[in-house]
Amino acid sequence: MITISQLDVHREGNSICSVESLSIPSAGRIGVLGANGSGKTTLLRVMAGLTDEFSGRCQVETDHLQRTFVHQHPFLFRGTVLSNICYGLRCRHRNKRAATDQAMHWLKRLDIEHLANRTTYKLSGGEIRRVALARALAFEPQLLLLDEPLAELDPQATETVCAILCELKNTTLVIASPTPLPEGLVQNDYRL
Amino acid sequence: MQLLWDGLTDAMRLLLSGEPLVVSAAWRSLWITSLAVALAAVVGLPVGAWLARTSMPGNRLLVLMFRAGMALPTVFVGMVCYAMFSRRGPLGPFELLYTPWGIVLGELLLAFPIIVGLSHGAIKSLDPRVAETAWTLGAGPIRRWKTYISEARVGVLLALLTAFARCVTELGIAMIVGGNIKHRTRTLATATAFETSRGEFARGIALGILLLLIALIVAGLIGWLSHEEKR
Repeated sequence: MITISQLDVHREGNSICSVESLSIPSAGRIGVLGANGSGKTTLLRVMAGLTDEFSGRCQVETDHLQRTFVHQHPFLFRGTVLSNICYGLRCRHRNKRAATDQAMHWLKRLDIEHLANRTTYKLSGGEIRRVALARALAFEPQLLLLDEPLAELDPQATETVCAILCELKNTTLVIASPTPLPEGLVQNDYRL
Repeated sequence: MQLLWDGLTDAMRLLLSGEPLVVSAAWRSLWITSLAVALAAVVGLPVGAWLARTSMPGNRLLVLMFRAGMALPTVFVGMVCYAMFSRRGPLGPFELLYTPWGIVLGELLLAFPIIVGLSHGAIKSLDPRVAETAWTLGAGPIRRWKTYISEARVGVLLALLTAFARCVTELGIAMIVGGNIKHRTRTLATATAFETSRGEFARGIALGILLLLIALIVAGLIGWLSHEEKR
């Protein structure tokens, strides 16, 4: 699914992310661990296709419509939570009814059904994360890149999110985190 | 002070009496400006978004030119339009001179750089995550463009308001291209200048106050719209 070799990302003359070799199989779940500033976010951005300013090789065998990236501080568009979750589905030409049904399904699974009609600027940090995750999961991507998805979540929400991520059978999952991830969430760790 | 007071009472009287000349000038000002701004927005907003989201050679120069265009003197635009629309001009066969449509085109030229310049600034200053999030969620170019406009709505509405305010109060284009013809091309701005030039100061002030009222209503409407959008 993802093959990286001799990857080096430079910014203003400094190397901000360096990966000798990394291979992630299809439907694999991997954690990218490292201290602050070690280049976790940069690596995920390269995999997401958000930056092409790097040397070396990064081959992702997924069309960009089949992969998505959730920022460390996710951005929600103005409007309601429901309209945000429908966004990716509407981009894939799902009709409004089907998109709403699918969005409600993921809202229920993430225990945030009650937020469906709330405007996004009234959400807390943890709620924003769960909404952004629901938005990413709603169109069932083949590659899901999550930058610190468990930050700001309470223990119950962490448990819910971990359970959902573990259930994804056909999705390749890459999670960046500065701290070790909960047991069983990922199959392997890659340390930067 | 007495002049202003007379103007104010005259404005009230004109408004309440619904004098045909004033009503037709006010209506003409409204539709000409609204149409010009709407047409300029249809072209200007995509151009502003495109300039804000792409980096190509000459981009900065284009932005600079549009920003400079925001200060275009209306008399200059009026003269350029006159040269274009006159019998020997390239658009002469369309017979736009001394018609409201000619004024619409002139005001379109006036509004276009304002809408491009201000919408470019509004979209350029958006959080970079807006574009990244839209792209990673699979939005195509048109949906991304709609998302930029939606996220920068306050700046975009301000661009439209500024363009409207500039066009509704301009005199140069309406006078040179329109010719201030009674019941045909007379706008509130040209009517104000006309009344003042023939010594009817109070009437001139009254028409000016009407103009200000229209600007106030549009500003209020746009302010309300941007507030509503936020909720």
